[in-house]
Amino acid sequence: MNLSLVDPFVLAQDCPEVITGRLRSGHSTSIRFSHRGDLLASGRHDGIVVVFDIETNGVARKLRGHTRQIQSLSWSTNDRFLLSAGQDWKCVLWDLKDGSRVRTVRFESAIFIAELHPKNHMIFAAALFEDQPVLVDMSAEVPVKHMLPTAPRRSQTEREKATEKQAAQDAKQTTTVTIFTPSADHILAGTNKGWLNIIDTRTHEVMYSYRVTNSLIVLIRMTHSGRDVVLNSSDRIIRTFLLPDLSDPNLDFDMLELKVQHKFQDLVQRLSWNHVTFSSAGDYVAATTYMNHHVYIWERGQGSLVKILEGTKEELSVLEWHPFRPFVAAIGVDSGRVWLWSILQPQRWSALAPDFVEVEENVEYIEKEDEFDIQPLEELHKRRLDQEDEEVDVLTIDPVKTNAQHEPGEFRMPVLLDIEASDSEDEIVAVGAGQFRRRSPGAGKEYMNDDEVGVSGDEVRRANGSTASGTKRRRA
Amino acid sequence: MADDRATSPKRRREDDDDDDDDDDDDDVGSPPRKRSASHTPPNGSPGFRLAERPRRYSRDHGEDDRGYYRDRRSPRSRSPSHTPSRSQSRSGSRTSSQPRSRSPQVTPPPPKPTQLHYRQSLVLRGHKKGVTSVKFSPDGRWIASSSADCTIKIWDARTGALEHTLEGHLAGVSTISWSPDSKVLASGSDDKSIRLWDIQTGMAHPTPLIGHHNYVYAIAFSPKGNMLVSGSYDEAVFLWDVRAARVMRSLPAHSDPVGGVDFVRDGTLITSCSHDGLIRVWDTSTGQCLRTLIHEDNAPVTSVIFSPNGKYVLAWTLDSSIRLWNYIEGKGKCVKTYQGHTNKKYSLAGAFGTYGAEPPYEHAFVASGSEEGGIVLWDVSTKNVLQRLEGGHTEAVLSVDTHPTEKLIASGSLDRTVRVWRGTTPPPEAVLETVLETVADIGTPANGYDPETLPPNPFTES
Repeated sequence: MNLSLVDPFVLAQDCPEVITGRLRSGHSTSIRFSHRGDLLASGRHDGIVVVFDIETNGVARKLRGHTRQIQSLSWSTNDRFLLSAGQDWKCVLWDLKDGSRVRTVRFESAIFIAELHPKNHMIFAAALFEDQPVLVDMSAEVPVKHMLPTAPRRSQTEREKATEKQAAQDAKQTTTVTIFTPSADHILAGTNKGWLNIIDTRTHEVMYSYRVTNSLIVLIRMTHSGRDVVLNSSDRIIRTFLLPDLSDPNLDFDMLELKVQHKFQDLVQRLSWNHVTFSSAGDYVAATTYMNHHVYIWERGQGSLVKILEGTKEELSVLEWHPFRPFVAAIGVDSGRVWLWSILQPQRWSALAPDFVEVEENVEYIEKEDEFDIQPLEELHKRRLDQEDEEVDVLTIDPVKTNAQHEPGEFRMPVLLDIEASDSEDEIVAVGAGQFRRRSPGAGKEYMNDDEVGVSGDEVRRANGSTASGTKRRRA
Repeated sequence: MADDRATSPKRRREDDDDDDDDDDDDDVGSPPRKRSASHTPPNGSPGFRLAERPRRYSRDHGEDDRGYYRDRRSPRSRSPSHTPSRSQSRSGSRTSSQPRSRSPQVTPPPPKPTQLHYRQSLVLRGHKKGVTSVKFSPDGRWIASSSADCTIKIWDARTGALEHTLEGHLAGVSTISWSPDSKVLASGSDDKSIRLWDIQTGMAHPTPLIGHHNYVYAIAFSPKGNMLVSGSYDEAVFLWDVRAARVMRSLPAHSDPVGGVDFVRDGTLITSCSHDGLIRVWDTSTGQCLRTLIHEDNAPVTSVIFSPNGKYVLAWTLDSSIRLWNYIEGKGKCVKTYQGHTNKKYSLAGAFGTYGAEPPYEHAFVASGSEEGGIVLWDVSTKNVLQRLEGGHTEAVLSVDTHPTEKLIASGSLDRTVRVWRGTTPPPEAVLETVLETVADIGTPANGYDPETLPPNPFTES
């Protein structure tokens, strides 16, 4: 509802510019925006998953169940369920309605990434370390794991010509990343040998393979439309592709030929990229840099670098772009903070009083003819009231087209009031006015079987946001 | 606490006549006020006595306009959603794709009623001092009423049974607001704190929201329930993170006490109004002021709400007018002025309601109390008075709210009662007998005010 009042020049900006805030709860290792964009899930080094409310920059929910660092996070389409994959070799599906664990799926190896099926939150795909990727169906109490192939699809002629060595090499490949297409009909998988496989979700067969590079594929991301793919590989090049409509029944995968649209790289500094993401509409590609403090943003039309976000004094790892706002979040590697970049909206002085106008240069004031005439008050009132003859509709609601809107029946995460009181695992405890001490190790961590304690920065908890004066930190 | 007054001497009118012996029954001598002085509850320290609300120094002819409070958000002015059940007859379910009554139709629209027939159906007694605010819960089950007697009472909206009495504030409660899920009630008080109450248990949440330097006059929950906006006598508007109980943002709002605040239905805008005569509209996410509305007469604005669709704001001013502003177009424009009630002194609160046929032919009315003890209902477009609900309250009606789905109006008054009015179908003569099915929590006469509901108050020499 605020859009009609906001400066159109501000609205026209679609690329974040300055640091507008930071979030902190423990040492974050993985983040993901919810589809409505009001929540940001953050997986911590100590295995706790924290859900931040982007509107308040506060913690909305804490989910405890992992014992090791969180590797990846994935939201269900209705934002009610959250899948977390941890370095304790398990995936947990959380119900945010009450914070309970719906399912826990254990694996025999470490998990690179686990992505929820866009249409069915009881199915997810996971890429495993030195193992075949799996499609897991959790609808039953005991989850069913379906193996997915990794070996690239070869054409008939290639297969005939294949040497034993090549076949052995194909078999040795492992998949490093799997994601669903938005229609959920296919899974895009990247391998450690630089192959991009398109796997059919139903038949579990590789429909199409394309060798993008010779080195390992780190991450694949798609836009909401499912037609654009960005791919980060360890050869220091970010590639974007245009995909055909994969769910088109007439599509012949054998005839399909993928072409790289853009290659983004830094030839001078030979930077390699930690994490890459599309902007909300896919117009931009943003990436964090290895051993460097910057976020690079390229524009996809021309393929040019348009912006470098800076301001942090640490390397950034996971980078996420808000689903529809010019707003990015990135994790600082050293501090574990989540840094937020957005657009600064200057106060328009003309909004502060109805007769203020913002003018470029001085304007001669021309007095109106009757401006200082004295008129009888009653008459003035009467005239004013008589002018109020328009029809007024205070009920009809304009249909709004943002995905930020909550539909009536939609899930909304309940607001927990005692979230701060439950904050017992934080490292710093307030002991008096302005006095803090480090919590004794292990206190409040009884839920963990391991003794691993995620010790992180010695900064006072949640100094984020512009906290107004006058509020003392209170502890229950 | 007594320095409260000393620190703001200019706010004190010198004829600060009434002090400690004031109270509920505003007797002849002293002018009635919306809420009498706050009393120290029995558990307070004996010397503690919140001074009488300091008065704003008078702007023009010494109009005594103290006592403006509370947020008056009608449940329907708040966001849609989260209760699917609301959508049937609710405006919230409507979109402009559906025809309005004035759009060309195959079948002629039903005639627009020129009168409404609300009749009193319940009288809720129990408050020991004037009732400052009444609110239907968003799910329609409850009525919450706050009072100068430092308590909040939760009543069953259907039967009028008293469900809970929420005690904990150390001074009179001026404003209440329901969370969108109807599970939490927030209250702002003259003890400068905002408390959150669990409706199931009737217990206060252990951490109150503390930060205001003076009386809290108005609060409103955001449609998601994660934020709360509050306006205070200290001229500040605070935006709170409800979960963490901390101030998220302070809006450099006004130069006089803030009388009303409200969230728009999707939570992206906040409006606030002040006795400096300004109504401001703010961007929730950035805290920027997006619009300022001033009426030429510059009358103190005591309360403000957004319209159910969020395109207008409705503001009460102490010149006995309620104005509907289009804040979007141009620089903002006053499109309607509703008059016919008296409002010179207290901060009255009202709400939007609907009448007429089902959604496409639904019309809106504005409901407000009057300082003469009546309630006035105006049609939004024609500004005609549709009904005056009189014969119920005997003193100023400070707060009026409409039920989110049913044809019900609740009103709270200085006469310490909360009354519920039910909309009836046109021939009202037939319903005359069932006028007062009075439900009183203690046996009291059906009408009028019963002194026996008042236990002796140790702090007044009455």
